[in-house]
Amino acid sequence: MSRELFAPRARPPLVPTVFGILVAAVVLLGPLLLKPGKVSTLVTAIAIAITALGLDLLVGTTGQLSLAHAALLGVGTFSAIGLGGRGIPWPAAFLGAIAITAAVSALIGLPSLRIRGLQVAITALAFQIFADSYLFQQSAVKDNTLTFAAPSFFDPAQHGFRRLYYFGLVLLVLTVLLLRRIGATRAGRSFVAVRDVEQRAVAFGVRPGPTKLLAYALSGAIAGLGGALIAFKEGTVNDAGTFNLQASLLLVAIVVIGGARSAVGICSAAFFVRALPNLIPAGYSLPVLGDVATTIPIVFAALLIVSIVGNPEGTGGLLRRARTGIEGLFSPPAKRPSPRPRPTDAVAAAAQAADLRRVSRPLTERLPVPALLVARNATVQYGGVRALSEVSLEVRRGEIVGLIGANGAGKSTFFNAVSGLAPVTGSIRYRDRELVGADPARRTRAGIARTFQDMGLIRADTVRQNLLLAQGWITRYPASAGILGLGSTIADERELRRRADLALELFGLDHLAGETLGDLPYGTMRICEIEAAVSTGPDLLLLDEASAGLTPDEAHALGDRFLALRDELGLTLVVIEHHVPLIARVCDYAYCLESGELIAEGAPEQVTAQPRVVESFLGKGSLRETASAR
Amino acid sequence: MELLSQVVTGLAVGAAYSLIAVAVVLIYAGTKTLSIAMGEIGAFGLFAGLHWREEGVPGTDYHPSALVAGVIAVVLGALLGLVVERLVMRPLVRRPPLDGLIATLGVALLLALLELKIYGSDPVSAPSPVGNRVFTVLDAPLPATRVAAFVLAVVVAVGLFVFLTRTKFGLATRAAVSDPTVARLLGVRVNSVYMFAWGVGGALSGLAAAVLAPAFGNLTPFAQTQFSLRALAGAVIGGLDSIWGAIVGSLLVGVVETVVQSNVSSSQNGYASMAVLVLVLGTLLVRPRGILGTTGVA
Repeated sequence: MSRELFAPRARPPLVPTVFGILVAAVVLLGPLLLKPGKVSTLVTAIAIAITALGLDLLVGTTGQLSLAHAALLGVGTFSAIGLGGRGIPWPAAFLGAIAITAAVSALIGLPSLRIRGLQVAITALAFQIFADSYLFQQSAVKDNTLTFAAPSFFDPAQHGFRRLYYFGLVLLVLTVLLLRRIGATRAGRSFVAVRDVEQRAVAFGVRPGPTKLLAYALSGAIAGLGGALIAFKEGTVNDAGTFNLQASLLLVAIVVIGGARSAVGICSAAFFVRALPNLIPAGYSLPVLGDVATTIPIVFAALLIVSIVGNPEGTGGLLRRARTGIEGLFSPPAKRPSPRPRPTDAVAAAAQAADLRRVSRPLTERLPVPALLVARNATVQYGGVRALSEVSLEVRRGEIVGLIGANGAGKSTFFNAVSGLAPVTGSIRYRDRELVGADPARRTRAGIARTFQDMGLIRADTVRQNLLLAQGWITRYPASAGILGLGSTIADERELRRRADLALELFGLDHLAGETLGDLPYGTMRICEIEAAVSTGPDLLLLDEASAGLTPDEAHALGDRFLALRDELGLTLVVIEHHVPLIARVCDYAYCLESGELIAEGAPEQVTAQPRVVESFLGKGSLRETASAR
Repeated sequence: MELLSQVVTGLAVGAAYSLIAVAVVLIYAGTKTLSIAMGEIGAFGLFAGLHWREEGVPGTDYHPSALVAGVIAVVLGALLGLVVERLVMRPLVRRPPLDGLIATLGVALLLALLELKIYGSDPVSAPSPVGNRVFTVLDAPLPATRVAAFVLAVVVAVGLFVFLTRTKFGLATRAAVSDPTVARLLGVRVNSVYMFAWGVGGALSGLAAAVLAPAFGNLTPFAQTQFSLRALAGAVIGGLDSIWGAIVGSLLVGVVETVVQSNVSSSQNGYASMAVLVLVLGTLLVRPRGILGTTGVA
């Protein structure tokens, strides 16, 4: 933290800044040059952009598709007219429209409590068509006698649409800020976790169903705001064409072409498809393509296909790349930090990180029991396959226990059984309490943390974001408080950051905190996952193939960290490991599995020397040969 | 109208939906993509056929009959399916399923907007390809297109079932679905499985458009996408990976829709779309994998 604060600030790059100022000038001053009718179009485009930003929270951030956002926009508009037209003050009508639309959106997302598949999109489609053919035809909904009269300050009849335009712009900026804010809270991190690692996120204390429902509700709330803006501007709506199926499909296109999680991209795309056709003089036509106003949507639909196939990051991605390119032209490329762990003194770092153990747990779970984890006849059966067969083993407090065996021996299955991701029979007791049947989040709270063989983190996020996500269960402030920054939220988040930084320093990766995880070498990613697990302040750490992808030197350094975790932090480790020298150096005890059954246990040297283990795990060659081949 | 005859009408309506639903399931089972473009893929070919019926095939004096227009819809649907598979879907094979769904959305949007641009927003008249005789089955008056839809649905379902369970290619399809990489290593031509799914799916969509549009007398852009919702609902309710499920689900949607529509005042025909919404929402909450679907779907 402190190091970042005192680092010399880079001069802001010239060209992007100039570009930004130009865009801002056009956005702020442009309407002064346009006729009122054209400005009116821009206000609608702003409402569409707001709705698209809301949709992006679902599509880009949470990985859910809604085909009903135009209908939700309509729900917002008609709610605002219904409320405002009955004399309710306009701010209250706005809030009412937002609340109603959020509720309807949550209703559409209800099946996401039960399913992971894309079928939820069909519910939304069904709602869209229901809204087209029934809801928006009802006189109770589309009441032409009601008018949502804007206060005289905004009245388009007196002032044209300029004041409404700037009002809309303020709402748009607020929406962007709100979305940024959501991204920095537990809820925002859970959304991304549901998108990328839904099944594993349960271990971080993320509950996928309610998380998705919350995303639907927030996304609907933002669509409601867009709708209220349209109501504010129009006063009364006769044509529900803005809210039909075609409009919904175009909204998805805006999000995809604009680029997930890129406000600038999404706003540009909304402007291109919703405002541009009306800004071009009528009858203006191109050779071959013909009339421009009807050609733009076709170009847009084609762009959607091209985007999804060839440029999944959308306009936002292109802008980011252009920016880096331009910056590169004017200043020497910034020195990228080495993507490898920095060699640090493991013992000293671990001493600093002792704080990580300070998490509050129920007193009963802090009772000292010599055997931290005891499995008795643990069996995991998938259909006709027994992945784990009557395994009984013991992990003592303060030990590093090695779990070895060939691929398919059941090592990862055992981890799944302990962390609650596999259906297990028999008994697994942790601190003398039964784990079988307990839900995964409770096991995390009890102090069990793990890594996955194929990464359970989010590659698109930064290293630090991932560490914050992993600690989700530590702070349980409600989503609403987090978004508004109320209560202990800010202090909690600061504490999570501090813990994340401690964990990063522990493994010598503090210089990579801001890097995107997916850009790092495989071995470094694996260490990040261990850090994420350590940052949750566990007592028992389950590490699945920790040294995969590391150079021999790095594997040796990793061994030092294991010892430091045990000796300085007092953690108990179970490591699945293929690297025999590492096992021999750090493990206090080792178990060997074969085809789901335990075939050997004892001190590491004894276990790896047993003929049956050698045959099953190490192959028939000599120990030394196998080890050097790895 | 008595309940029984309403049900018969509903079954005939549902049979037409089931043609699209089977296309959706075929593509879902074959490529793990949920396609919402099938309505518009079928409509695009029918638009061409019906337009030529009125204006003549470009460069000739030939005015195809309504039946030939239907055949054109089937052929163009199949071709369009293959083009979409090759140019759009195949590059997305290894991407998240959401990307595939959005791509099909783009295809639907593009086709509908092209129809709008080429043929305008005025409805194109769509006469019955199989004449206007009305059959009476259990007191239910069934126009010839409905009967044709029912017969076609049965033929298609039985044909596909036999093909997928009794032939080597069917076995290859199922292998490709369960694990594309392993299937490829075993010598299965996974790409030809994908092409089969999209080609047959496109043809079925054309067939569905040809029997659905005459029920309303005309065809407009986006209309088939609206109808295809009923088919998508049917597929989801029946189970996305089961051909029989698609048929059962679609028939259920057709029956519920018809019964609801016949029993509320005719001015409120939006009640049918509410019934479909409730049916989908209810199924996904109570039995997420659908009536005949496997657990892999949910």
